[in-house]
Amino acid sequence: MDLAFSPEDLAFRDEVRAFIQTRMPDDIRRKVQAGDHLAKDDYYRWHRILFERGWSAPNWPKEYGGPGWNAVQRHIFYEEHAFGWAPRMLPFGLSMVAPVIMEFGNDEQRARYLPKILSGEEFWCQGYSEPGAGSDLASLQTRAVKNETGDKYVINGTKTWITMAQWADWIFVLARTDPNAKKQEGISFILVDMRTPGVTVRPIQTIDGGHEINEVHFENVEVPVTNRVGDESAGWTYAKFLLEHERTGTAGIAGCRGALQQLRDLIAEASIDDPRLEERIALVEIELEALAFTELRTLAAESAGKRPGPESSILKIKGTEIQQALSELSLDALGPYAESHLAPRYFNYRKTSIYAGSNEIQKNIIAKRILKL
Amino acid sequence: MDFTLSPEQLLIKDSVARFASGEHAGGDHWKTFGELGWLAIGAPEDLGGFGGPIETLLLMEQFGRGLVVAPYVSQVVFAGTILKAAERLDVLEQLAEGKQRVAVAYEEQHARYDPSAVATSAVRDGDGYVITGTKVRVLDPTTANTLIVSARAGDDVALFLVPADAPNVHRTPFSAEDGHDVADVRFDGVRVDASARLDAAGGGLALLERGLDHAVAALCAEGLGLMSLMLEATVDYAKQRQQFGVPIGSFQALQHRMAEMFSELELARSMAYFAAMTLENETDPRARAHGISAAKVQVARSGRFVGQGAIQIHGGIGMSEEYKVGHYFKRMTMVERLLGDTTFHLNRFIATAPVPQREPVHA
Repeated sequence: MDLAFSPEDLAFRDEVRAFIQTRMPDDIRRKVQAGDHLAKDDYYRWHRILFERGWSAPNWPKEYGGPGWNAVQRHIFYEEHAFGWAPRMLPFGLSMVAPVIMEFGNDEQRARYLPKILSGEEFWCQGYSEPGAGSDLASLQTRAVKNETGDKYVINGTKTWITMAQWADWIFVLARTDPNAKKQEGISFILVDMRTPGVTVRPIQTIDGGHEINEVHFENVEVPVTNRVGDESAGWTYAKFLLEHERTGTAGIAGCRGALQQLRDLIAEASIDDPRLEERIALVEIELEALAFTELRTLAAESAGKRPGPESSILKIKGTEIQQALSELSLDALGPYAESHLAPRYFNYRKTSIYAGSNEIQKNIIAKRILKL
Repeated sequence: MDFTLSPEQLLIKDSVARFASGEHAGGDHWKTFGELGWLAIGAPEDLGGFGGPIETLLLMEQFGRGLVVAPYVSQVVFAGTILKAAERLDVLEQLAEGKQRVAVAYEEQHARYDPSAVATSAVRDGDGYVITGTKVRVLDPTTANTLIVSARAGDDVALFLVPADAPNVHRTPFSAEDGHDVADVRFDGVRVDASARLDAAGGGLALLERGLDHAVAALCAEGLGLMSLMLEATVDYAKQRQQFGVPIGSFQALQHRMAEMFSELELARSMAYFAAMTLENETDPRARAHGISAAKVQVARSGRFVGQGAIQIHGGIGMSEEYKVGHYFKRMTMVERLLGDTTFHLNRFIATAPVPQREPVHA
């Protein structure tokens, strides 16, 4: 057992750090630091800078234009990315639909979609949840019915809580293609161009005053059958594959380290000297270190060839709990009127224990798949 | 970064696991430990020693799983680390061979775990010292031939080797909840030679803190073993125990509690590993203390959560003296407090925080 990073890893870390420091546009950095909402163009500009360096898809293998980093290098990159106050890398294209297309799509689909995700030219969003299908995702009712000639699906239904649908060019949709099959077995994974007639986006304002999420309606939306990824009615398998990839990315440890540092700076600036507050922060910091080390253990296992497994549920649960605890502490330390973004961030972060499979669902996964209860 | 074990480390793990899972209640087993080489872990190679904090971790995790009641942390890890750092290789060699057994007497009633709060005095007397004061909760003194005693010599905290049977050393043993050997020890003007002093003037506290950190890391590993067994026993029980016509493990309220116990266990496992690796790669004592105290806080908190959950989910049987889980819970409760409780280590973690390296982010 050895904790140290290799000299190559350390050199890589310095390279990434220097790149982010010199190339990050000041206006974007300031917005991220202040916790402001970013515009689509902010995400796009930073994505292009990374793209030109060959780093816009840290989790992709070389054959699709990724840097081909190993788990440790990816970890270092994400950490430096967060420390440098870079905007988060939107996961919907990069780490959700792309791995599914790589694993289960065909060559034409890989050639059509992956390069534009890589370049940032096309934005994606995720069509999973429905008004009647949240934690019980497999009960989804959106229907995709083949037309008479059999070359198109006609999609009807409503997807909800869709982050950044207002900017998206494409949406990946879970839709029921076989209404008679058992719940999980009649679902297909279909890619839909957001400009197709019949697709409408309705904004949902959240309690923090922001507009991140939307409802997306499909009314007789015609989509070529060739937009289906993998086999018909086998979409549940792909959906689960995607969720496991999503979960490992939700611990947000580097972001928590940044938030912790920011909290300490705010306390120093406001000259707050309160041992009880210091103690609460220390408890969160220790748990964060424990989780960071847990993630390193997962990374080491991944480097040794293991796929992300149900253990990623721990990262999701604890990571989001820590994110929420830090947003609470900032509010408690400085009060709701001290900093204009603190209360909205606290309200906004309640989402973290709900999205990507609520933390209760993660506990079900641990109970069933690890403890075999 | 590498979390794999070497073939030698796997061998130790297996041999300790075999011992710990077998019948070991009652006896002292020191001879067996010596024959298996376990008393020499961490000692220099030319004294027949091998390994270090990782090997200690592997051993103590298995001791935890097997609820082995042995004075290993106190007499091998704690005392051995101090002797090695003080370069008293003569005593260390005897310790590693099982010929001499050493306990550490450092805690005082008013100090609340703080090793620097020493009222016991060592007054110069000709070419020696006279030690006066009382140490509390001394771990495993009954089987020790020698005590390492902290005492104030002028402004310094000094450490002395005192024969356990020296005149004017009085032991008051008391029964500990976990069956371990504990006593208060009074030093009523105990005279020792100058050669009994372990530290070069002024270095006693640093030696003591180093010993403590190694011992705390070993306790973290023991806690990990205790917790992992408690969770396994609880999950097994929940699969078998039937109420309302179904196994109680099918109830979501209990499933979620066990899932939380699992998460806590994994955080504790991470920090127990982290503690051992911090000692392997020690850079400076402040960073070492910071890392070890963080580990102790996490293990203590996780251990309490897992232990209380284990008793609750077992229900009445968890309360009964004849069933094993209660005994693991009691030992875990002691591990939580030994060599510094959560409050002590949280304060120490805060006091040893690194000086910020990054520029303030909030311009």
